[in-house]
Amino acid sequence: MTLKQFSSSKCFGGLQKVFEHHSVELKCKMKFAVYLPPKAETGKCLVLYWLSGLTCIEQNFISKSGYHQATSEYGLVVIAPDTSPRGCSIKGEEDSWDVGTGAGFYVNATEDLWKTNYRMYAYVSKELPQLINDNFPADPQRMSVFGHSMGGHGALICALKNPRKYKYVSAFAPLCNPVLCWGKKAFTGYLGIDQSKWEAYDATCLVKSYPGSQLDILIDQGKDDEFLSDGQLLPDNVIASCTEKKIPVVFRLPEGYDHSYYFIAIFIADHIRHHAKYLNA
Amino acid sequence: MEEGAGEAPGLGRSAASKDFRFYHMDLYDSEDRLQIFPEESTRMRREGVQAEMTHEPMRGGVKGKAPGDLGEEVDELVHPYGLEDDHELGDEFIEENTPRIEVSEYPSYMMMGSEQRDWRLTGETAQGEDLGFMGWGSAGQCQDLREAYRYSHGRASEEYECYVIPEEEDEEEVADIFCVTCKTPIRASEKDQDEHKQHEVTPLSKALESAKDEIHKNMYKLEKQIIEMENFASHLEEVFITVEENFGRQEQNFESHYNEILETLAQKYEEKIQALGEKKKEKLEALYGQLVSCGENLDTCKELMETIEEMCHEEKVDFIKDAVAMADRLGKFLKTKTDVEISAQPDFEDQTLDFSDVEELMGSINTIPAPSAPVINPQAPNSATGSSVRVCWSLYSDDTVESYQLSYRPVQDGSPGKEQTEVTMTIKETYCSVTNLLPNTQYEFWVTAQNRAGLSPTSERAVYMTAPCPPIIKSKEIRSCEEAALISWESGNLNPVDSYTVELTQAEMPGASGVTESVVGIPTCECLVQLQPRQSYTIYVRALNVGGPSARSEPATVHTTGSYFPLDKHTCHPRLTVSEDGLTVVRSERRGPPREPVPSDAHFTRCAAVMGNLIPVRGRHYWEVEVDECLDYTVGVAFENVPRQEDLGANRLSWCMRHTFASSRHKYEFLHKTTTPDIRITVPPKKIGILLDYENAKLSFFNVDISQHLYTFSCQLPQFVHPCFSLEKPGCLKIHNGISMPKHITFY
Repeated sequence: MTLKQFSSSKCFGGLQKVFEHHSVELKCKMKFAVYLPPKAETGKCLVLYWLSGLTCIEQNFISKSGYHQATSEYGLVVIAPDTSPRGCSIKGEEDSWDVGTGAGFYVNATEDLWKTNYRMYAYVSKELPQLINDNFPADPQRMSVFGHSMGGHGALICALKNPRKYKYVSAFAPLCNPVLCWGKKAFTGYLGIDQSKWEAYDATCLVKSYPGSQLDILIDQGKDDEFLSDGQLLPDNVIASCTEKKIPVVFRLPEGYDHSYYFIAIFIADHIRHHAKYLNA
Repeated sequence: MEEGAGEAPGLGRSAASKDFRFYHMDLYDSEDRLQIFPEESTRMRREGVQAEMTHEPMRGGVKGKAPGDLGEEVDELVHPYGLEDDHELGDEFIEENTPRIEVSEYPSYMMMGSEQRDWRLTGETAQGEDLGFMGWGSAGQCQDLREAYRYSHGRASEEYECYVIPEEEDEEEVADIFCVTCKTPIRASEKDQDEHKQHEVTPLSKALESAKDEIHKNMYKLEKQIIEMENFASHLEEVFITVEENFGRQEQNFESHYNEILETLAQKYEEKIQALGEKKKEKLEALYGQLVSCGENLDTCKELMETIEEMCHEEKVDFIKDAVAMADRLGKFLKTKTDVEISAQPDFEDQTLDFSDVEELMGSINTIPAPSAPVINPQAPNSATGSSVRVCWSLYSDDTVESYQLSYRPVQDGSPGKEQTEVTMTIKETYCSVTNLLPNTQYEFWVTAQNRAGLSPTSERAVYMTAPCPPIIKSKEIRSCEEAALISWESGNLNPVDSYTVELTQAEMPGASGVTESVVGIPTCECLVQLQPRQSYTIYVRALNVGGPSARSEPATVHTTGSYFPLDKHTCHPRLTVSEDGLTVVRSERRGPPREPVPSDAHFTRCAAVMGNLIPVRGRHYWEVEVDECLDYTVGVAFENVPRQEDLGANRLSWCMRHTFASSRHKYEFLHKTTTPDIRITVPPKKIGILLDYENAKLSFFNVDISQHLYTFSCQLPQFVHPCFSLEKPGCLKIHNGISMPKHITFY
C-alpha cells in the first residue's frame, strides 16, 4: 500500500497535505487530506476524522471550514477522506447527486451493482484508520469522528456502531434519520429494498440498540437550514431516542444559519475543542 | 563524658566537682550531646574554642590569686563549659578521622589550675596522651581509640555506635552496604552470609546520609543549647555584678555607721573619765580642809590644857583670878562645837552610765532616709495581655527601698460621674504584672517607694493599656478560591484597636509543623490573603493596640481547593430558606405567607433567588449545584447590583441557565437579557457544574455526572459577579463548594 503525496502546504505551523492511495475496500484510487499539527513533529497525536457531506471531495472541508487554527492549537491530526469511490465505471454512478459518486452514505453496499466498490463504511471506519496509524504519528487508541450533513450521519453511525472506538462524536446538520428521508433512495440502491437492513445505518435506529456505554454527542444545526425545514435532517427523532435511551446529546439550534460551510466555519473551533477534551481525557 | 571520667579510678572528686557535674548534667545530659561528629562543623567549632583558649590561662592566673573568692565561682559558672566539652568531643573525632594533634591545647587546659577542675585535668591529660599516640597510629588502632572513647563516655557512647560508620574496616575490600539490623557496615558479599541474611540492608551511602542528617539535626539542637547556656551564663554574670554592688553598698553603709558609734562611745568615755576625776579632786580637797581644821582644834585644846596646868602651879590668889578667867575661856571653848563629822564620804557614789544615745545610734544603723519618688517607665511594647499589663519603674540608686506601693485606676473617659475605683498594692520588685484588668482599656499607674523611714513622694503617672480581646473570625463568612481567601472577623472589642494581624499556618501534612505567616497592620475587619492552591490553612486573627497583640482568635480553617462561598442571607427571597450550613436552598411546599424577610434592601423580590458571596478574585471559579431533574430552577451569576425585582437572566447584569419542566418535557434556557440560544439536552443533569472564568470572559455550564458541556456564555465581566440560585417551584438546590475543577472543563 503506497501513499502518494499530492500536495503539502504549511498552515498554522503544521502541514496540510493531500495523499492518494489505492483502497482495498473500494478497489479504486482514493484521495484523502491530512492535517499534521506542529505537535506531530515530536510525538503521536490524536486523530480526528471528518466526514463530508453529499457531493463533496476532500477539498471542501480543508479549504472552507477554517479548522486549522484550533486543530493546530490542540495538536490534533485531522483526516478528511473523499465521500465515495470514484471512477469505478458503475452504471448510473454519475447520474444523480444523491446516489453514486459523491454520495457514498458511509454504508457497505450489498446490492450487486455497488457492493464491490461502495464500501465507504468499511473504508472510513477500518481501512483508513489502519492506514493512518501505520503511516502517520497517530495514537491508535484515541480517535474521534465528526462530519457534516451526510458526513454527520456517517459520523453518528460510526460512533454508534463502534462503542468505545470513538471517544467523541459531533455533527453539523446531520441526517439523523435517513431511513425516513434522503436515505431512502441511496439505501434502496446500496442495500436493497429490505428496510430492516437500512436500520444498521440509521442513527436514530442505532441509538435504540446502543449498548449504553459512555458517548457524548454534540449536534449543531442552523435554524434557517432549508433541509431542516424540508424534513430531510430530522434531528428531533434522534434527540427523542437519545432522551429515551439517556444518551447525552447537546443539540444547538443557532438562529439564522443555513446548511453551508459558512455555518460550519463559525462552530468548527467549538467542535474541535470538544473533541480535544475527550481525546485528551 | 563527665560521668565516665568521674567513674574512672584514681580521680578524686571534690565537692566542687560535684557542683560542676550538677550543672553539666542538668544541661547536657541529653543523649544528643554525644552525637556531634560531622567533621566540618567540629572543625568550625574548634576554631571558636581555640579563640577562647587564648584567654584561658590568663583567667586561671587571676583565679589563682584569690582562691575561694566569690568572683571565681561565679566566673566558673559563667564560663560556657559546654563549649569546652564539645570541643573535647570534637577533638577526639578529629583525631579519629584525621590523625593530627594540636598539643598546644592540652597545656592550655593545664593552665586552668582551679581546684574544681583537678579531677578533670587528670583524665584530660591521660586522654590527651592516649589520643596523641593513637591518633598517629594506623587505622586499625582506631578500634582501641573507640574503646577508650566508649570507656570515657559511659552509656551515651551507645548512641555513638549507632551512627558512626567506621571507615577503617578492611581496606582491600571496602564495605559498601549497611546492615540496619546490626547497625554496621558490611560488604555486599557478606550480605548473603548467614549473619546478615535476614537483615535489612541499605546502601552505605544512604545510611551515611541518614546518619549525617541525624547528626546535623543534633548539631543544631546542641548549638541551640549552647546559645541558651551562653545566655544563661551572661544572665548569671549580671546577677553576680548586681549582688556585688548591693553588698558593697551595704558594707559601706555598715562601716560608716559603726564608725559613728565608736566615735560616740569614745567621746562618752572621755566625758565620764573627766567627770570622775573632778569629783575625786573635790572630795579630797574637802577632806583635807577638814583635816586641817581638826588639827587646829587639836592645837587649841593642847594649849588650853597647858595653860590650865600652869595655872594649877600658881598662887592661890593668882589661881583664883586666873581660874575665873580660864573658866570663862574654857567655857567658851567648850561651847564651840568640835566638828567631827566626815564631810566627804570615801565610797563611790553610785553613778549610772547613760548609753541611751549610743543605743539610739546602734538602732540607727539601719535607719536611712526615706526614698525619693520612683520613676515609672512608659509601657513597653508587646508587654500587655488582654487582662494584664507589666508595669516597670526604677529607683534612684542611692535609695534603699523596702517596698513599693503601686496604684492604678482606669483612665476616665470624660464621664466624671462614674466613680472609678483606685487599687493599690504592695510590691517588693520594681515591676509588677497587674492582672484582672479589662481588655483594650487604658489604666493610669503611679508608684511610691517606702522604707522604714517612710514613704517617697508619688511618681509621675503613666498610662498603660491592656491588649485587646481576641477577635472573632466569622467562620461562616469565609470565602476562598485556589489562590486566596477572604477572611472577616468581629473586633471583639468595644473600643477601637490599632490594627489586626492575620496568622496562617499551612497544614501540609499531618505532623509537619507548618510555618506561620503573618499579615500585619490590617486596619479593617477583613483581609484578602494570598494562598497556595489545594492546601489547608489554619487561620488566626489577633487585634493589636499599643499594649500589644491580643491572644489568637479561635482558629478557622480554609481549604484552597476550588472556590468556596457562603450564601448571602440578606439577598434571600422570603420564599426561600437557606440551611444552617449555608449550602442548601429550600423552597417549601406550603403556600402560606412568606416568612419575614431579613430587613434589607438586598433581597430578591420577584424571583425566589438567593446570591452567594464569591471571593472578589479574578481567575477561575467552579462550583456545582445538585438539582432535581423535574425541578424548575435557575442557576448562574449576576453582578452584585442586579435588579432584585427582575428575573435572573432578564437583564444585562445576569447570566443564567434556567430549567423548566412542563408536560414531561425539559426545557433548558441559557438566559442573558431575556434571550436564549435554542438548545436541547437529552440527558437532564442532576448536577450542574458552573465554571466562571474571568480571564477568558466565559461562563460555562456542565452536566457533571457525564462530563458533558452544556453551554458557554461569552460575557464581559468588568466587575465581580456572584453565584445566584433561584427556585421557581418548591424543592431544593444543594450547592457543592470547595471542589477542584474536573479536568475536562479546562478545555472551556
